[in-house]
Amino acid sequence: MVTLRRTASVALPAPREVSSAGPLERRDRKIFLAFLAPGMLLGIGALFIPVIYAIQLSFFHAESFIDEPTFVGLGNYIRVFSEPRYWQAFWHGLFYAVATVALQVVIGIAIALLLHQEFRGRNWLRSAALAPYILPTVVVVYIWKWLLNINYGIFNVFLENVGVGPIAWFSSPVAAWFSIIFVSVWYWTPFVTITFLAALQTISDDLYDAAAVDGANAWKRLIHITLPVLKPVLIVIVMLRTIFMFNKFDIVWLMTNGGPLTTTEHLPILAYVKTFDMFDIGGGTAIATSIFVFLALLIWIYFRMFPLEEH
Amino acid sequence: MRKKNWVLIRRVFLLLLFIAVTLYSLFPMYWMVVSGLRAGRSLFEPLLLPGPYSWQGYKTILSLTDFPTYYVNSILIAVGTTVLTVAVVTPMAYALVRSRLPGMMLMVRAMLFAYMFPALLLAIPIYIFLVKIGLDDTRLSLILTHSTFTLPLGVWLMWGFFKNFPFEVEESAFIDGCSRLQAIYRIIMPLTLPGVLTVVLFAFVLSWSDFVFSLILITSDELKTLPYGLASIDDAYDANWGELMAGSTMICLPLLALFAFLSRYFIRGLSMGSVKG
Repeated sequence: MVTLRRTASVALPAPREVSSAGPLERRDRKIFLAFLAPGMLLGIGALFIPVIYAIQLSFFHAESFIDEPTFVGLGNYIRVFSEPRYWQAFWHGLFYAVATVALQVVIGIAIALLLHQEFRGRNWLRSAALAPYILPTVVVVYIWKWLLNINYGIFNVFLENVGVGPIAWFSSPVAAWFSIIFVSVWYWTPFVTITFLAALQTISDDLYDAAAVDGANAWKRLIHITLPVLKPVLIVIVMLRTIFMFNKFDIVWLMTNGGPLTTTEHLPILAYVKTFDMFDIGGGTAIATSIFVFLALLIWIYFRMFPLEEH
Repeated sequence: MRKKNWVLIRRVFLLLLFIAVTLYSLFPMYWMVVSGLRAGRSLFEPLLLPGPYSWQGYKTILSLTDFPTYYVNSILIAVGTTVLTVAVVTPMAYALVRSRLPGMMLMVRAMLFAYMFPALLLAIPIYIFLVKIGLDDTRLSLILTHSTFTLPLGVWLMWGFFKNFPFEVEESAFIDGCSRLQAIYRIIMPLTLPGVLTVVLFAFVLSWSDFVFSLILITSDELKTLPYGLASIDDAYDANWGELMAGSTMICLPLLALFAFLSRYFIRGLSMGSVKG
Protein backbone atom coordinates (compact mmCIF):
# COMPACT_ATOMS: atom_id res chain seq x y z
CA MET A 1 0.00 0.00 0.00
CA VAL A 2 2.77 2.38 0.99
CA THR A 3 4.69 1.55 -2.15
CA LEU A 4 1.73 2.17 -4.40
CA ARG A 5 1.04 5.55 -2.94
CA ARG A 6 4.66 6.63 -3.23
CA THR A 7 4.90 5.63 -6.87
CA ALA A 8 1.70 7.53 -7.64
CA SER A 9 2.88 10.75 -6.05
CA VAL A 10 6.17 10.69 -7.94
CA ALA A 11 4.65 9.77 -11.27
CA LEU A 12 1.76 12.23 -11.26
CA PRO A 13 3.58 15.57 -11.81
CA ALA A 14 4.67 14.48 -15.28
CA PRO A 15 1.37 14.91 -17.14
CA ARG A 16 0.63 18.03 -15.09
CA GLU A 17 3.71 19.81 -16.35
CA VAL A 18 2.62 19.22 -19.91
CA SER A 19 -0.96 20.40 -19.40
CA SER A 20 -1.74 24.11 -19.31
CA ALA A 21 -2.48 25.98 -16.10
CA GLY A 22 -5.74 25.05 -14.40
CA PRO A 23 -8.21 27.44 -12.77
CA LEU A 24 -6.45 27.25 -9.40
CA GLU A 25 -3.11 28.22 -10.92
CA ARG A 26 -4.65 31.08 -12.93
CA ARG A 27 -6.40 32.44 -9.85
CA ASP A 28 -3.13 32.48 -7.90
CA ARG A 29 -0.87 33.73 -10.67
CA LYS A 30 -0.07 36.97 -8.81
CA ILE A 31 0.93 35.07 -5.69
CA PHE A 32 3.22 32.87 -7.75
CA LEU A 33 4.84 35.87 -9.43
CA ALA A 34 5.41 37.50 -6.04
CA PHE A 35 7.02 34.25 -4.86
CA LEU A 36 9.34 34.17 -7.84
CA ALA A 37 10.34 37.84 -7.90
CA PRO A 38 12.90 38.10 -5.04
CA GLY A 39 14.80 35.01 -6.18
CA MET A 40 14.88 36.18 -9.78
CA LEU A 41 16.04 39.63 -8.72
CA LEU A 42 18.86 38.20 -6.62
CA GLY A 43 19.75 35.70 -9.33
CA ILE A 44 19.91 38.35 -12.03
CA GLY A 45 21.70 40.94 -9.88
CA ALA A 46 24.27 38.74 -8.20
CA LEU A 47 24.73 35.97 -10.78
CA PHE A 48 23.58 36.83 -14.27
CA ILE A 49 24.97 40.36 -14.61
CA PRO A 50 28.41 39.54 -13.13
CA VAL A 51 28.75 36.49 -15.36
CA ILE A 52 27.93 38.49 -18.47
CA TYR A 53 30.31 41.17 -17.26
CA ALA A 54 33.10 38.62 -16.74
CA ILE A 55 32.65 37.18 -20.20
CA GLN A 56 32.72 40.70 -21.59
CA LEU A 57 35.89 41.52 -19.64
CA SER A 58 37.66 38.56 -21.21
CA PHE A 59 37.64 40.46 -24.51
CA PHE A 60 39.37 43.49 -22.99
CA HIS A 61 42.86 44.32 -21.85
CA ALA A 62 43.12 45.71 -18.33
CA GLU A 63 45.98 45.88 -15.84
CA SER A 64 44.08 47.30 -12.88
CA PHE A 65 40.55 47.19 -11.51
CA ILE A 66 39.99 50.92 -11.86
CA ASP A 67 41.37 51.78 -15.33
CA GLU A 68 39.18 51.88 -18.40
CA PRO A 69 39.81 48.58 -20.25
CA THR A 70 40.68 48.53 -23.96
CA PHE A 71 39.03 46.15 -26.42
CA VAL A 72 41.33 43.44 -27.80
CA GLY A 73 38.81 40.96 -29.25
CA LEU A 74 39.99 37.38 -28.93
CA GLY A 75 43.51 38.56 -28.03
CA ASN A 76 43.37 37.33 -24.44
CA TYR A 77 42.17 33.90 -25.51
CA ILE A 78 44.82 33.49 -28.20
CA ARG A 79 47.52 34.58 -25.76
CA VAL A 80 46.30 32.34 -22.93
CA PHE A 81 45.73 29.25 -25.07
CA SER A 82 49.20 29.49 -26.59
CA GLU A 83 50.83 29.25 -23.16
CA PRO A 84 51.95 25.72 -22.19
CA ARG A 85 51.18 26.69 -18.60
CA TYR A 86 47.46 26.86 -19.47
CA TRP A 87 47.37 23.33 -20.89
CA GLN A 88 49.46 21.98 -18.05
CA ALA A 89 46.90 23.46 -15.64
CA PHE A 90 44.02 22.05 -17.69
CA TRP A 91 45.36 18.48 -17.51
CA HIS A 92 46.14 18.89 -13.82
CA GLY A 93 42.52 19.91 -13.18
CA LEU A 94 41.13 17.02 -15.19
CA PHE A 95 43.40 14.53 -13.45
CA TYR A 96 42.44 15.94 -10.05
CA ALA A 97 38.70 15.84 -10.84
CA VAL A 98 38.68 12.29 -12.26
CA ALA A 99 40.86 10.85 -9.47
CA THR A 100 38.95 12.49 -6.61
CA VAL A 101 35.46 11.82 -8.01
CA ALA A 102 36.19 8.15 -8.69
CA LEU A 103 37.55 7.60 -5.18
CA GLN A 104 34.77 9.61 -3.53
CA VAL A 105 32.03 7.70 -5.32
CA VAL A 106 33.46 4.26 -4.58
CA ILE A 107 34.25 4.97 -0.92
CA GLY A 108 31.06 7.00 -0.44
CA ILE A 109 28.79 4.23 -1.75
CA ALA A 110 30.62 1.60 0.30
CA ILE A 111 30.10 3.64 3.48
CA ALA A 112 26.47 4.36 2.56
CA LEU A 113 25.76 0.64 2.10
CA LEU A 114 27.41 -0.04 5.46
CA LEU A 115 25.40 2.68 7.18
CA HIS A 116 22.20 1.29 5.68
CA GLN A 117 22.67 -2.01 7.56
CA GLU A 118 20.78 -2.62 10.77
CA PHE A 119 23.09 -2.61 13.78
CA ARG A 120 23.41 -0.99 17.16
CA GLY A 121 25.09 2.42 17.11
CA ARG A 122 24.12 2.95 13.48
CA ASN A 123 22.81 6.46 14.03
CA TRP A 124 25.96 7.43 15.85
CA LEU A 125 28.18 6.07 13.10
CA ARG A 126 26.04 7.84 10.51
CA SER A 127 26.70 11.20 12.14
CA ALA A 128 30.40 10.37 12.55
CA ALA A 129 30.80 9.46 8.88
CA LEU A 130 29.10 12.66 7.75
CA ALA A 131 31.03 14.97 10.08
CA PRO A 132 34.09 15.82 7.90
CA TYR A 133 31.82 17.39 5.29
CA ILE A 134 30.72 20.20 7.58
CA LEU A 135 34.24 21.38 8.42
CA PRO A 136 35.42 24.53 6.63
CA THR A 137 38.09 23.95 3.98
CA VAL A 138 40.59 26.08 5.89
CA VAL A 139 40.21 23.92 8.98
CA VAL A 140 40.53 20.71 6.98
CA VAL A 141 43.70 21.98 5.36
CA TYR A 142 45.28 23.06 8.64
CA ILE A 143 44.39 19.78 10.37
CA TRP A 144 45.97 17.74 7.58
CA LYS A 145 48.97 20.01 7.24
CA TRP A 146 49.55 19.38 10.94
CA LEU A 147 48.91 15.62 10.67
CA LEU A 148 51.28 15.39 7.68
CA ASN A 149 53.89 17.82 9.05
CA ILE A 150 57.39 16.67 8.11
CA ASN A 151 58.94 16.89 11.58
CA TYR A 152 56.22 16.45 14.17
CA GLY A 153 53.13 15.28 12.27
CA ILE A 154 51.66 12.16 13.84
CA PHE A 155 51.62 10.37 10.46
CA ASN A 156 55.30 10.82 9.94
CA VAL A 157 56.07 9.83 13.54
CA PHE A 158 54.15 6.61 12.87
CA LEU A 159 55.88 6.05 9.51
CA GLU A 160 59.24 6.62 11.15
CA ASN A 161 58.44 4.03 13.81
CA VAL A 162 57.61 1.38 11.21
CA GLY A 163 60.70 2.38 9.25
CA VAL A 164 59.14 3.91 6.12
CA GLY A 165 59.27 7.63 6.70
CA PRO A 166 59.37 10.43 7.29
CA ILE A 167 57.83 11.51 3.97
CA ALA A 168 57.84 15.16 2.89
CA TRP A 169 54.17 15.27 1.90
CA PHE A 170 54.32 18.63 0.16
CA SER A 171 57.82 18.86 -1.32
CA SER A 172 57.74 16.62 -4.38
CA PRO A 173 55.06 16.84 -7.09
CA VAL A 174 53.96 13.22 -6.63
CA ALA A 175 53.69 13.51 -2.84
CA ALA A 176 51.91 16.88 -3.10
CA TRP A 177 49.36 15.43 -5.54
CA PHE A 178 48.86 12.42 -3.32
CA SER A 179 48.24 14.68 -0.31
CA ILE A 180 45.82 16.96 -2.16
CA ILE A 181 43.82 14.04 -3.58
CA PHE A 182 43.75 12.15 -0.29
CA VAL A 183 42.57 15.17 1.71
CA SER A 184 39.99 16.12 -0.95
CA VAL A 185 38.56 12.61 -0.95
CA TRP A 186 38.47 12.53 2.85
CA TYR A 187 36.69 15.87 2.90
CA TRP A 188 34.03 15.36 0.21
CA THR A 189 33.21 11.65 0.44
CA PRO A 190 30.40 12.36 2.96
CA PHE A 191 28.53 14.28 0.25
CA VAL A 192 28.27 11.04 -1.72
CA THR A 193 27.43 9.09 1.43
CA ILE A 194 24.65 11.47 2.49
CA THR A 195 23.03 11.62 -0.92
CA PHE A 196 23.28 7.91 -1.57
CA LEU A 197 22.04 7.01 1.89
CA ALA A 198 19.03 9.31 1.56
CA ALA A 199 18.20 7.66 -1.74
CA LEU A 200 18.63 4.18 -0.23
CA GLN A 201 16.07 5.08 2.40
CA THR A 202 13.44 6.00 -0.19
CA ILE A 203 13.36 2.37 -1.32
CA SER A 204 10.47 0.73 0.48
CA ASP A 205 11.29 -2.21 2.72
CA ASP A 206 8.30 -3.98 1.18
CA LEU A 207 10.20 -4.23 -2.07
CA TYR A 208 13.06 -6.08 -0.39
CA ASP A 209 10.67 -8.23 1.62
CA ALA A 210 8.81 -9.24 -1.52
CA ALA A 211 12.08 -10.05 -3.29
CA ALA A 212 13.26 -12.06 -0.29
CA VAL A 213 10.01 -14.04 -0.33
CA ASP A 214 10.63 -14.76 -4.01
CA GLY A 215 14.04 -16.15 -3.04
CA ALA A 216 16.40 -13.31 -4.04
CA ASN A 217 19.59 -13.24 -1.96
CA ALA A 218 21.32 -10.08 -0.71
CA TRP A 219 23.51 -9.77 -3.79
CA LYS A 220 20.57 -10.17 -6.18
CA ARG A 221 18.59 -7.60 -4.22
CA LEU A 222 21.50 -5.17 -4.57
CA ILE A 223 21.79 -5.75 -8.33
CA HIS A 224 18.08 -5.89 -9.19
CA ILE A 225 16.53 -3.41 -6.75
CA THR A 226 19.05 -1.08 -5.13
CA LEU A 227 21.26 -0.15 -8.06
CA PRO A 228 18.52 0.33 -10.72
CA VAL A 229 16.52 2.53 -8.35
CA LEU A 230 19.62 4.53 -7.49
CA LYS A 231 21.00 4.91 -11.01
CA PRO A 232 19.60 8.46 -11.44
CA VAL A 233 21.01 9.47 -8.05
CA LEU A 234 24.40 8.04 -8.98
CA ILE A 235 24.40 10.04 -12.21
CA VAL A 236 23.53 13.24 -10.37
CA ILE A 237 26.26 12.57 -7.81
CA VAL A 238 28.93 11.97 -10.44
CA MET A 239 27.79 15.02 -12.38
CA LEU A 240 27.81 17.37 -9.41
CA ARG A 241 31.06 16.04 -7.97
CA THR A 242 32.88 16.34 -11.31
CA ILE A 243 31.71 19.90 -11.71
CA PHE A 244 32.68 20.87 -8.19
CA MET A 245 36.01 19.07 -8.09
CA PHE A 246 37.09 20.67 -11.35
CA ASN A 247 36.41 24.05 -9.72
CA LYS A 248 38.01 23.54 -6.34
CA PHE A 249 40.27 26.47 -5.69
CA ASP A 250 40.61 26.94 -1.96
CA ILE A 251 41.82 23.46 -0.94
CA VAL A 252 44.62 23.33 -3.52
CA TRP A 253 45.53 26.97 -2.95
CA LEU A 254 45.75 26.56 0.83
CA MET A 255 47.63 23.26 0.67
CA THR A 256 50.30 23.96 -1.92
CA ASN A 257 49.67 27.35 -3.61
CA GLY A 258 49.96 25.34 -6.83
CA GLY A 259 53.50 24.31 -5.93
CA PRO A 260 56.13 23.02 -5.80
CA LEU A 261 56.68 25.52 -8.68
CA THR A 262 53.54 25.01 -10.80
CA THR A 263 53.27 21.22 -10.53
CA THR A 264 49.90 21.24 -8.73
CA GLU A 265 48.55 24.35 -10.43
CA HIS A 266 45.17 23.85 -12.07
CA LEU A 267 42.97 26.30 -13.99
CA PRO A 268 41.18 28.00 -11.06
CA ILE A 269 44.56 28.73 -9.44
CA LEU A 270 46.00 29.99 -12.72
CA ALA A 271 42.97 32.28 -13.15
CA TYR A 272 43.48 33.69 -9.64
CA VAL A 273 47.24 34.14 -10.04
CA LYS A 274 46.78 35.87 -13.39
CA THR A 275 44.10 38.23 -12.07
CA PHE A 276 45.34 39.13 -8.62
CA ASP A 277 49.10 38.48 -8.70
CA MET A 278 49.94 39.43 -12.28
CA PHE A 279 47.08 41.96 -12.67
CA ASP A 280 46.28 40.46 -16.07
CA ILE A 281 42.52 40.82 -15.65
CA GLY A 282 41.65 40.04 -19.26
CA GLY A 283 43.78 36.89 -19.18
CA GLY A 284 42.32 35.80 -15.83
CA THR A 285 38.72 36.22 -16.96
CA ALA A 286 39.52 34.49 -20.25
CA ILE A 287 40.76 31.46 -18.30
CA ALA A 288 37.74 31.58 -16.01
CA THR A 289 35.41 31.76 -19.03
CA SER A 290 37.16 28.81 -20.63
CA ILE A 291 36.59 26.77 -17.43
CA PHE A 292 32.95 27.67 -17.64
CA VAL A 293 32.63 26.70 -21.30
CA PHE A 294 34.26 23.35 -20.59
CA LEU A 295 31.89 22.72 -17.68
CA ALA A 296 28.86 23.88 -19.65
CA LEU A 297 29.82 21.30 -22.25
CA LEU A 298 30.03 18.61 -19.56
CA ILE A 299 26.64 19.45 -18.11
CA TRP A 300 25.07 19.66 -21.55
CA ILE A 301 26.30 16.15 -22.33
CA TYR A 302 24.82 14.92 -19.04
CA PHE A 303 21.48 16.54 -19.74
CA ARG A 304 21.42 15.02 -23.22
CA MET A 305 22.20 11.58 -21.84
CA PHE A 306 19.90 11.74 -18.84
CA PRO A 307 17.11 14.34 -19.12
CA LEU A 308 15.74 15.70 -15.85
CA GLU A 309 12.19 14.72 -16.74
CA GLU A 310 13.04 11.07 -17.45
CA HIS A 311 10.83 8.63 -15.57
CA MET B 1 24.82 -24.17 12.99
CA ARG B 2 26.04 -22.77 9.66
CA LYS B 3 23.56 -19.94 9.98
CA LYS B 4 24.87 -19.12 13.46
CA ASN B 5 28.47 -18.94 12.19
CA TRP B 6 27.45 -16.69 9.37
CA VAL B 7 25.74 -14.31 11.78
CA LEU B 8 28.87 -14.20 13.93
CA ILE B 9 31.15 -13.50 10.94
CA ARG B 10 28.80 -10.76 9.82
CA ARG B 11 28.88 -9.20 13.28
CA VAL B 12 32.69 -9.22 13.53
CA PHE B 13 32.97 -7.87 10.00
CA LEU B 14 30.52 -5.05 10.76
CA LEU B 15 32.36 -4.22 13.97
CA LEU B 16 35.70 -3.94 12.15
CA LEU B 17 34.16 -1.72 9.48
CA PHE B 18 32.52 0.31 12.21
CA ILE B 19 35.88 0.98 13.88
CA ALA B 20 37.61 1.71 10.56
CA VAL B 21 34.98 4.23 9.45
CA THR B 22 34.97 5.91 12.85
CA LEU B 23 38.75 6.29 12.92
CA TYR B 24 38.88 7.45 9.30
CA SER B 25 36.23 10.11 9.88
CA LEU B 26 36.91 11.28 13.39
CA PHE B 27 40.62 10.90 14.12
CA PRO B 28 41.65 14.13 12.33
CA MET B 29 39.01 16.07 14.27
CA TYR B 30 40.03 14.40 17.51
CA TRP B 31 43.63 15.34 16.82
CA MET B 32 42.62 18.95 16.19
CA VAL B 33 40.88 19.19 19.58
CA VAL B 34 43.71 17.43 21.43
CA SER B 35 46.46 19.52 19.81
CA GLY B 36 44.57 22.74 20.50
CA LEU B 37 44.63 21.90 24.20
CA ARG B 38 48.39 21.33 24.30
CA ALA B 39 51.27 23.76 24.50
CA GLY B 40 55.04 23.77 24.49
CA ARG B 41 56.99 20.56 24.11
CA SER B 42 54.02 18.24 24.59
CA LEU B 43 52.67 19.47 21.23
CA PHE B 44 55.52 17.75 19.45
CA GLU B 45 55.36 14.45 21.29
CA PRO B 46 53.36 11.63 19.75
CA LEU B 47 50.93 11.15 22.65
CA LEU B 48 47.75 9.61 21.28
CA LEU B 49 45.66 10.15 24.39
CA PRO B 50 44.59 13.69 25.33
CA GLY B 51 46.70 15.80 27.65
CA PRO B 52 48.70 17.34 29.21
CA TYR B 53 46.10 20.08 29.04
CA SER B 54 46.89 23.76 28.56
CA TRP B 55 44.70 26.69 27.49
CA GLN B 56 47.75 28.57 26.21
CA GLY B 57 46.81 28.20 22.53
CA TYR B 58 43.31 29.57 23.14
CA LYS B 59 44.61 32.43 25.30
CA THR B 60 47.16 33.48 22.72
CA ILE B 61 44.85 33.42 19.70
CA LEU B 62 42.03 35.20 21.55
CA SER B 63 44.12 37.95 23.12
CA LEU B 64 46.97 38.61 20.69
CA THR B 65 45.10 38.38 17.35
CA ASP B 66 41.86 39.71 15.85
CA PHE B 67 40.25 36.28 16.13
CA PRO B 68 37.30 37.53 18.27
CA THR B 69 36.51 40.21 15.64
CA TYR B 70 36.59 37.59 12.88
CA TYR B 71 34.18 35.51 14.96
CA VAL B 72 31.60 38.30 15.22
CA ASN B 73 31.89 38.97 11.48
CA SER B 74 31.38 35.32 10.63
CA ILE B 75 28.27 35.07 12.80
CA LEU B 76 26.70 38.21 11.29
CA ILE B 77 27.43 37.14 7.73
CA ALA B 78 26.43 33.47 8.04
CA VAL B 79 23.15 34.30 9.81
CA GLY B 80 22.41 37.05 7.28
CA THR B 81 23.06 34.73 4.35
CA THR B 82 20.95 31.93 5.85
CA VAL B 83 17.95 34.18 6.55
CA LEU B 84 18.13 35.74 3.09
CA THR B 85 18.44 32.34 1.40
CA VAL B 86 15.53 30.68 3.20
CA ALA B 87 13.28 33.72 2.74
CA VAL B 88 13.96 33.85 -1.00
CA VAL B 89 14.30 30.19 -1.86
CA THR B 90 11.25 28.62 -0.19
CA PRO B 91 8.51 30.61 -1.98
CA MET B 92 10.48 30.51 -5.22
CA ALA B 93 10.84 26.74 -5.25
CA TYR B 94 7.16 26.34 -4.41
CA ALA B 95 6.15 28.57 -7.31
CA LEU B 96 8.55 26.76 -9.64
CA VAL B 97 6.85 23.45 -8.92
CA ARG B 98 3.20 24.49 -8.63
CA SER B 99 2.59 27.60 -10.73
CA ARG B 100 2.61 25.97 -14.20
CA LEU B 101 3.73 29.31 -15.57
CA PRO B 102 5.76 28.99 -18.77
CA GLY B 103 9.53 28.67 -18.44
CA MET B 104 9.65 27.11 -14.98
CA MET B 105 11.79 24.16 -16.03
CA LEU B 106 14.08 26.58 -17.83
CA MET B 107 14.54 28.51 -14.61
CA VAL B 108 15.37 25.35 -12.67
CA ARG B 109 17.97 24.52 -15.31
CA ALA B 110 19.33 28.07 -15.13
CA MET B 111 19.73 27.60 -11.37
CA LEU B 112 21.66 24.37 -11.81
CA PHE B 113 23.68 26.13 -14.45
CA ALA B 114 24.44 29.01 -12.08
CA TYR B 115 25.37 26.62 -9.31
CA MET B 116 28.13 25.04 -11.35
CA PHE B 117 29.80 28.40 -11.85
CA PRO B 118 33.23 28.56 -10.27
CA ALA B 119 33.12 30.91 -7.27
CA LEU B 120 36.31 32.40 -8.59
CA LEU B 121 34.79 33.38 -11.93
CA LEU B 122 31.99 35.16 -10.06
CA ALA B 123 34.25 36.74 -7.47
CA ILE B 124 36.42 38.57 -10.02
CA PRO B 125 33.64 40.53 -11.82
CA ILE B 126 31.66 41.01 -8.60
CA TYR B 127 34.77 42.49 -7.03
CA ILE B 128 35.25 44.92 -9.93
CA PHE B 129 31.55 45.82 -9.77
CA LEU B 130 31.65 46.44 -6.04
CA VAL B 131 34.79 48.56 -6.37
CA LYS B 132 32.93 50.73 -8.88
CA ILE B 133 29.86 51.25 -6.66
CA GLY B 134 31.98 51.49 -3.50
CA LEU B 135 30.46 48.43 -1.82
CA ASP B 136 33.59 46.28 -1.77
CA ASP B 137 35.14 45.46 1.58
CA THR B 138 31.76 45.42 3.43
CA ARG B 139 29.86 42.74 5.33
CA LEU B 140 26.82 43.29 3.09
CA SER B 141 28.90 42.44 0.02
CA LEU B 142 29.75 39.06 1.55
CA ILE B 143 26.09 38.29 2.39
CA LEU B 144 25.06 39.07 -1.19
CA THR B 145 27.91 37.14 -2.76
CA HIS B 146 27.46 34.13 -0.48
CA SER B 147 23.87 33.95 -1.70
CA THR B 148 25.25 33.40 -5.23
CA PHE B 149 25.97 29.83 -4.18
CA THR B 150 23.35 29.30 -1.47
CA LEU B 151 20.49 30.50 -3.70
CA PRO B 152 20.93 27.99 -6.54
CA LEU B 153 21.64 25.18 -4.09
CA GLY B 154 18.59 26.10 -2.00
CA VAL B 155 16.31 26.32 -5.03
CA TRP B 156 17.63 23.00 -6.27
CA LEU B 157 17.05 21.31 -2.88
CA MET B 158 13.60 22.81 -2.29
CA TRP B 159 12.54 22.19 -5.87
CA GLY B 160 13.29 18.51 -5.40
CA PHE B 161 11.48 18.62 -2.07
CA PHE B 162 8.27 20.22 -3.40
CA LYS B 163 8.34 18.07 -6.53
CA ASN B 164 8.02 14.94 -4.43
CA PHE B 165 5.48 16.58 -2.18
CA PRO B 166 2.06 15.00 -2.85
CA PHE B 167 -0.31 17.48 -4.44
CA GLU B 168 -3.20 15.66 -2.75
CA VAL B 169 -2.27 17.28 0.58
CA GLU B 170 -2.93 20.77 -0.76
CA GLU B 171 -5.82 19.63 -2.89
CA SER B 172 -7.73 18.43 0.13
CA ALA B 173 -7.09 21.81 1.76
CA PHE B 174 -8.50 23.59 -1.30
CA ILE B 175 -11.54 21.34 -1.27
CA ASP B 176 -12.05 22.30 2.38
CA GLY B 177 -12.14 25.94 1.25
CA CYS B 178 -8.61 27.12 1.96
CA SER B 179 -7.10 29.77 -0.29
CA ARG B 180 -3.60 29.24 -1.68
CA LEU B 181 -1.93 31.32 1.04
CA GLN B 182 -3.95 29.64 3.80
CA ALA B 183 -3.01 26.23 2.45
CA ILE B 184 0.64 27.23 2.34
CA TYR B 185 0.57 28.70 5.83
CA ARG B 186 -1.41 25.96 7.57
CA ILE B 187 -0.63 22.79 5.66
CA ILE B 188 2.52 23.18 3.60
CA MET B 189 4.82 25.22 5.82
CA PRO B 190 4.74 22.81 8.77
CA LEU B 191 5.39 19.88 6.42
CA THR B 192 8.20 21.77 4.70
CA LEU B 193 10.25 22.12 7.87
CA PRO B 194 12.64 19.23 7.10
CA GLY B 195 13.35 20.75 3.69
CA VAL B 196 13.82 24.23 5.12
CA LEU B 197 16.16 22.92 7.79
CA THR B 198 18.22 21.24 5.11
CA VAL B 199 18.56 24.57 3.35
CA VAL B 200 19.38 26.30 6.67
CA LEU B 201 22.11 23.78 7.37
CA PHE B 202 23.66 24.06 3.92
CA ALA B 203 23.40 27.85 3.71
CA PHE B 204 24.93 28.40 7.14
CA VAL B 205 27.72 25.88 6.66
CA LEU B 206 28.62 27.18 3.18
CA SER B 207 28.61 30.82 4.24
CA TRP B 208 30.54 30.13 7.46
CA SER B 209 33.14 28.09 5.56
CA ASP B 210 33.63 30.38 2.57
CA PHE B 211 37.22 31.35 1.96
CA VAL B 212 37.26 32.51 -1.68
CA PHE B 213 34.89 35.49 -1.53
CA SER B 214 36.36 36.70 1.74
CA LEU B 215 39.87 36.45 0.27
CA ILE B 216 38.94 38.48 -2.80
CA LEU B 217 36.38 41.00 -1.50
CA ILE B 218 37.73 41.87 1.94
CA THR B 219 40.88 43.89 2.53
CA SER B 220 40.29 45.46 5.97
CA ASP B 221 41.45 43.25 8.79
CA GLU B 222 38.46 44.13 10.99
CA LEU B 223 36.00 42.81 8.35
CA LYS B 224 37.59 39.42 7.69
CA THR B 225 35.64 36.24 8.40
CA LEU B 226 37.09 33.28 10.30
CA PRO B 227 38.48 31.11 7.46
CA TYR B 228 40.36 33.98 5.83
CA GLY B 229 41.20 35.34 9.27
CA LEU B 230 42.83 32.08 10.38
CA ALA B 231 44.87 31.91 7.17
CA SER B 232 46.07 35.49 7.66
CA ILE B 233 46.93 34.80 11.30
CA ASP B 234 49.08 31.94 9.99
CA ASP B 235 50.74 34.34 7.53
CA ALA B 236 51.17 37.39 9.75
CA TYR B 237 52.09 35.93 13.13
CA ASP B 238 54.47 33.17 13.92
CA ALA B 239 51.54 31.02 15.07
CA ASN B 240 52.35 27.53 16.31
CA TRP B 241 50.29 24.42 15.64
CA GLY B 242 48.65 24.55 19.07
CA GLU B 243 47.28 28.03 18.39
CA LEU B 244 46.14 27.14 14.88
CA MET B 245 44.38 24.00 16.15
CA ALA B 246 42.76 26.01 18.96
CA GLY B 247 41.49 28.49 16.37
CA SER B 248 40.30 25.66 14.11
CA THR B 249 38.42 24.07 16.99
CA MET B 250 36.65 27.34 17.75
CA ILE B 251 35.69 27.75 14.08
CA CYS B 252 34.17 24.25 14.11
CA LEU B 253 32.17 24.61 17.33
CA PRO B 254 28.98 26.20 15.90
CA LEU B 255 29.08 23.85 12.91
CA LEU B 256 29.36 20.77 15.12
CA ALA B 257 26.59 22.06 17.38
CA LEU B 258 24.33 22.74 14.38
CA PHE B 259 25.17 19.36 12.93
CA ALA B 260 24.51 17.49 16.18
CA PHE B 261 21.13 19.19 16.37
CA LEU B 262 20.12 19.03 12.70
CA SER B 263 21.69 15.88 11.26
CA ARG B 264 18.49 13.99 12.08
CA TYR B 265 16.39 16.45 10.04
CA PHE B 266 19.06 16.54 7.45
CA ILE B 267 18.85 12.86 6.63
CA ARG B 268 15.09 12.71 7.12
CA GLY B 269 14.51 15.81 5.02
CA LEU B 270 16.10 14.19 2.03
CA SER B 271 13.89 11.14 2.17
CA MET B 272 10.33 12.32 1.70
CA GLY B 273 8.87 11.88 5.16
CA SER B 274 5.30 13.11 4.84
CA VAL B 275 4.19 10.51 2.32
CA LYS B 276 4.67 7.61 4.65
CA GLY B 277 2.21 9.16 7.12
